[in-house]
Amino acid sequence: MRSYHLRIIAIAILINLIGIFTIYSITFQSEDPFLSSIFKRQIIWSLIGILGFFIMANVTYRRLWDLAYILYGVAIFLLLLVAITGIIRLGAKRWLTLFWLNFQPAELAKLSTVILLARYFSYQSIRDTVSSSRRFGMGRGLLLPLLLILVPMGLIIEQPDLGSALMLFFIFICVLFFSKIKLKYLGLLLLVILIASPAFWALLRDYQKDRLLVFLNPNIDPLGAGYTVIQSKIAIGSGGFFGKGWLFGTQSQLRFLPESHTDFIFATFAEEWGWLGCVLLLFLYYLLLKNSLAIAGRTSDNFGQLLCLGITVMFAVQIVINLFMTMGLAPVVGIPLILMSYGGSSIFITYVSLGILANANKERTVF
Amino acid sequence: MRTVLAFTFIFVGIFLSYLQLVNGRKFIQLSDNNRIRIVPQLGSRGNILDRKGSVIIGNRLSYNVLVIPRQIYNSDNTIRKLSEILEVPFEKLQSTFRQRQVSSFLPVVLVENIDKKKAIIIEEARPSLPGVIIDPVPTRFYPYQKLACHLAGYLGEIDHWRLTKLKDYGYNKKDIVGYSGIEERYDYYLRQEEGGLQVEVDHLGNITRILGLRSPKNGKDIQLTVDLEIQKIIEESLGEREGAVVIMDSYSGEILGMASSPGFNPEIFINKSASKESIFKNPHAPLFNRCISGAYPLGSVFKVVVAAAALESKKISPSTTYQCSGSLMIGRRSYSCWSAHGDENLKNALIHSCNVFFYRLGLLLGPDRMYEWALKFGLGKPTQIDLPSENSGHLPNSFWERLNKFKTWFDGDTANFAIGQGDLLVSPIQTAVFMASIANGGNLVRPYLIKSIGSKDVVNYQRRLSHVPIRDTTLELIRAGLRGVVGDEEGTANILSGVGVSVSGKTGTAQTTSGRQPHAWFVGFFPAEKPKFTICVFLEHAGPSVYACQIAKRIIEAMKEKGLL
Repeated sequence: MRSYHLRIIAIAILINLIGIFTIYSITFQSEDPFLSSIFKRQIIWSLIGILGFFIMANVTYRRLWDLAYILYGVAIFLLLLVAITGIIRLGAKRWLTLFWLNFQPAELAKLSTVILLARYFSYQSIRDTVSSSRRFGMGRGLLLPLLLILVPMGLIIEQPDLGSALMLFFIFICVLFFSKIKLKYLGLLLLVILIASPAFWALLRDYQKDRLLVFLNPNIDPLGAGYTVIQSKIAIGSGGFFGKGWLFGTQSQLRFLPESHTDFIFATFAEEWGWLGCVLLLFLYYLLLKNSLAIAGRTSDNFGQLLCLGITVMFAVQIVINLFMTMGLAPVVGIPLILMSYGGSSIFITYVSLGILANANKERTVF
Repeated sequence: MRTVLAFTFIFVGIFLSYLQLVNGRKFIQLSDNNRIRIVPQLGSRGNILDRKGSVIIGNRLSYNVLVIPRQIYNSDNTIRKLSEILEVPFEKLQSTFRQRQVSSFLPVVLVENIDKKKAIIIEEARPSLPGVIIDPVPTRFYPYQKLACHLAGYLGEIDHWRLTKLKDYGYNKKDIVGYSGIEERYDYYLRQEEGGLQVEVDHLGNITRILGLRSPKNGKDIQLTVDLEIQKIIEESLGEREGAVVIMDSYSGEILGMASSPGFNPEIFINKSASKESIFKNPHAPLFNRCISGAYPLGSVFKVVVAAAALESKKISPSTTYQCSGSLMIGRRSYSCWSAHGDENLKNALIHSCNVFFYRLGLLLGPDRMYEWALKFGLGKPTQIDLPSENSGHLPNSFWERLNKFKTWFDGDTANFAIGQGDLLVSPIQTAVFMASIANGGNLVRPYLIKSIGSKDVVNYQRRLSHVPIRDTTLELIRAGLRGVVGDEEGTANILSGVGVSVSGKTGTAQTTSGRQPHAWFVGFFPAEKPKFTICVFLEHAGPSVYACQIAKRIIEAMKEKGLL
């Protein structure tokens, strides 16, 4: 069934193009030479990403079985590198500068964690990979993978990037669920989290607490932490049915909306294209996820299925949390809207992940 | 899995519709509020000028302190600095800031009307005070403070009653409008039209482009008939006494000076923080314009009306004589005169202000004929001066008394009426108009205060005359009597004979029922030969009429000194 993988890439490129147009609209008037050039950077990153897609689509995903722990190690190493350079520079940063491009290891960490978990919960039988979780007890079924997850999570929280860390954890729980682990372990984990959540509150930094409080009521601090949410809702709402038109969004053009080209790009898009455009975009995202799910459903081996489901969950969580966040339905956490938001790492990893899905679909046809 | 996904997306879609379709208008409004700013451009209210063109009430710039919430990084810090400079308590500024803050990008008026010096200090400190703006606003300026306060009026925020009345003329809430006097009556011409620059701003408040401009219009200047010099003289002469003075051109009705005392400083009403209580609660009613809104018993000045009525209705001749023995029995009561004058003819009776003579005239005429003639001289009805809240006074007649007070009219009432006592009430401006008609040959003028609005001369619309049907011989005889009041050695206003100009007039000492001192009146005209000026001096509860004559003397002397005659 080649059509699935063609469909996926077609939809992805379409969304990516919409994103580039939106970024251009935000920045075309900017006098800052960096800002006015970012839509070009986004195009370059997208091309690199598409290249990555085709490479991954043609390299059998079974190779990832072997690479799982290595990729995980690389991700941890890069995260550590970020932490160390952060300490040296006396300032937190989320990205590494490799030559002329900045790279966010957290993005890699998400994908590598998905691959790692997919491998962890499978074992190789004669013909195919089979779920291993049923055989696991408490220790190997829950505690060990939890430990594997907590390492990158801890490093990402330190950056600090609460959103990505929580997302990682959410992916973990979903993969755990899909791996057909005994449900009582999952229940236990959720119970522990529930009991421990007041302690987590104490561990949060002040601004993170602010964001959560502001999520509950943005008006407690309209100029500070609540500002972004209010402006984002204004941007989306003022789009109306037809929108203000491409290049004519006032909230973003006049920069009332912060992060309008990254995390809040949906608000920018909604302002300029209105309800009609938004519904179209939502439909495209839905199609993307639906096709990903379909690929996962058609993959018969356990490793491939977990991988595909993990990647789909990764996409879905990012998309839904970002949409909720821009509409004021979720607290503001720094999660980009995949394929739309400006950011090379996100684009690249997304295309690569799509490549894995495409390959899984192709491999299926081989048998 | 797929259903979860579908439901999530449907939920997102529904919430999106809620934001964009249901609440779209609200959010469009909010986004416009973010980006569109009106920079007000204020015009200034029209000046009030005297007849020679010098400014009585003008405008100057005052300074407001504005802050833009979004641009203040630490509002407490900024407010603390401002409170140090302005010497206003920190807590007070903070609470005003919180109360007046509407949106992050809309400037908040923190303090109004600060000194120029402090405005300069803040302007110099602006690099350390981001988001603070000094906004110059044209404000009413009273170079002479109290001067002409009653006839000019004062300014204030529009009240509910005026708003409902004036809404159709383009007045809005929070508009500043005139209260009393010229400011109220001619507010429509004086008021400025606020203009504004509609601009689009970015998140830092920088203007990105101009969307529209409506240029402000200044209000029209109003030129009064009042002479600043005369106004100064009469206010100085009145001092702090309770009373009123009107000086009017006898032929045209132009008011040359008009003052009521005690006065007030209209500046208090522009300053929002100043306490107005002392003015509103003052028992001497400083806001009350006694010249037009007061109604007082006229006393002996009314004898002039009675004399004219008697001569015109041919009840007496110029040579008719009555004997004054100091009192007259009417019914069972004795009505007194202030002296025993012996034989009096009309002229002498006026000169001596003999009560007995006029009791007899009154009884001869009857109350209705006196009423009729008082009405002909403009008493008991508004003069239609171009000021708001004019009092028409009260003329008694037997029919009215019976209807409203269930009282029978006795001859005693007629006698009291004939000497201006009883229920008769008049305002100083009515008295001046009546006296002017004696001076100018029987023309009842309509008094007015406005010479021109903007550059348009309105005198022709203002001037209105009606004729009192009176013979010249009668007028001449009365004028001779009035001249004698001042010129004759026994005249009641004889102290005015030495002022260097021939004055005619009539004094009045009006008894009041409250047992307090009587009101003192002097109403007259000068120069006697060609009476350009009519003067009315009224002192409330000041004692005998001689006090009013003293004020009149001071005024006429000062006018002569300054060469204003």
